[in-house]
Amino acid sequence: MNQTKPWQIPCAAVFSRMLMALFVLVLVVMPQFAPQARADADTAAGKVANPGTELWREVRQREAPLAGATQVTGMDSGVLINTLGEQWRRFRMEQLVPVAGALIGGVLGLIILFHLFKRGVRLEHGRSGNYIQRFKEIDRILHWYVATVFIFLALTGLILLTGRVVLIPVFGHEVFSAIASASKEGHNLFGPLFLLGVVGLFIRFVSKNFPGKGDLGWLLKAGGFLGGKHPSAGFFNAGEKIWFWLVIVVGLTISVTGLILEFPFFGQDRPLMALSLVLHGVGAVLLVAGLFGHIYVGTAGMEASLESMTTGYVDVNWARQHHDQWAEVCEAEGAVVAGEDLKKKQQLRGTKNRVPSRPATEEGQ
Amino acid sequence: MARMKFLCDAERCIECNACVTACKNENEVPWGVNRRRVVTINDGSPGERSLSVACMHCSDAPCAAVCPVDCFYTTDDGVVLHDKDICIGCGYCFYACPFGAPQFPTTGAFGSRGKMDKCTFCAGGPEEDNSAEEHRKYGGNRLAEGKLPLCAEMCATRALLAGDGDTVSDIFRERVTWRGSSGFTWGWGVAYSKPGLRNSRDVEGKAAGKD
Repeated sequence: MNQTKPWQIPCAAVFSRMLMALFVLVLVVMPQFAPQARADADTAAGKVANPGTELWREVRQREAPLAGATQVTGMDSGVLINTLGEQWRRFRMEQLVPVAGALIGGVLGLIILFHLFKRGVRLEHGRSGNYIQRFKEIDRILHWYVATVFIFLALTGLILLTGRVVLIPVFGHEVFSAIASASKEGHNLFGPLFLLGVVGLFIRFVSKNFPGKGDLGWLLKAGGFLGGKHPSAGFFNAGEKIWFWLVIVVGLTISVTGLILEFPFFGQDRPLMALSLVLHGVGAVLLVAGLFGHIYVGTAGMEASLESMTTGYVDVNWARQHHDQWAEVCEAEGAVVAGEDLKKKQQLRGTKNRVPSRPATEEGQ
Repeated sequence: MARMKFLCDAERCIECNACVTACKNENEVPWGVNRRRVVTINDGSPGERSLSVACMHCSDAPCAAVCPVDCFYTTDDGVVLHDKDICIGCGYCFYACPFGAPQFPTTGAFGSRGKMDKCTFCAGGPEEDNSAEEHRKYGGNRLAEGKLPLCAEMCATRALLAGDGDTVSDIFRERVTWRGSSGFTWGWGVAYSKPGLRNSRDVEGKAAGKD
């Protein structure tokens, strides 16, 4: 059949066209004759082929499920055999559950090992005592909102994913059923709140997370782990930008797939829901593994980092060491606050907040 | 020990849905839930075939494999049952089951899934046999009374067979052998082994063994 392709023999154009015409003729006419011929042979042999045989082959086909008619209304009730179920089962039991356990446990182990041998990054020049505001209050509230919701969802999700292996041997079936049921309800209740958080993060931080000057250099030096000297970075370094986009893209994916699964009465069928569970599981496991790294770098892994998300202010020396481009701009703009002033400011806010709840001062007058 | 099995003979099933109704009545299943359904392939076309399908009580049941709370168990008769006190209504069994057997009443929050319900082979659940509690959660337990599932017992054309795998396959083998030995391999004339029902030259359509 290969020689019928005209581009293989450009000289013998006429010959090839004739062959092609013959080929097309065969293609068009043959299938119409073939079953007839078979049926004729069967009749001649005194037998009528059972169309059921072909039918069942079609029903059991491993690719597309064949839908039939049924009086019973319900999701996919016309599908006699759902061919995707077995694939989904294999994925979940043979890949997702073990890989999730290995990845999350592995990342946790690596971080602990890393910390034991290398310790975190210290401030090279100690504290300066002067501060720069890094995150406004609304950003910090948003961050801790997403953090709380995500950690709750991660815990409840992991209970549902791995509890059968990890928790049933400890608690038994009855107690674990109660835990899992509460986890499922909680997961469903708090899931949509995570979507709001991701959208909020996107709105507040997207402008600072486009690739910029120094990002490539930062990545090539792996943020200073390779090549000794700390690479130059702006407000966010390349690592933080990658984490941001991971949270946005994967966060939106697990939110949308989660909604598809949470409200199963908008006509979504089993293939869509099984696919959603695959994406939801893979995405969530990725984010949890990333979260461990994020938490480590924000706390024990890097001295004086956490302050940016608690008080909102960072030490000038911290800013110079980790985000030199940003620190330069801030210092040029005169955004540096002396430690004394910051303390007064915070105390002022503290007393201001406390005033209404202190009738004692009025009694003293 | 018996190994319980369902078998539906597509050459005999006439899509009367009596099995569906019988099951619903016997087990008093919740509104919107049908443990059994009849699916017709190529409905209305020559060569259409109907099959009654419910839980097939798999040896290596996918529902039991994926259940996050491990609520499934297999009885000594090879019947796959589940414990509704353990089930959390997550729906994973519904994704994994090839036959669409697991059903969910919409009793959860926001009308989401309640506890899963499926065919029990008329064998109830983990509670005491034929107790009120068992009946409330799982419906009848005919097996404990020495009876077979009502869907198969009710089947007018004996298309749906239920019982020990060996017995069921003996019956079906007999039918297939008979069908193979006749001139025609399918059609009403060969669905039944009674000579009176065999093909007649005057019969048209399906009965004649022509499409």
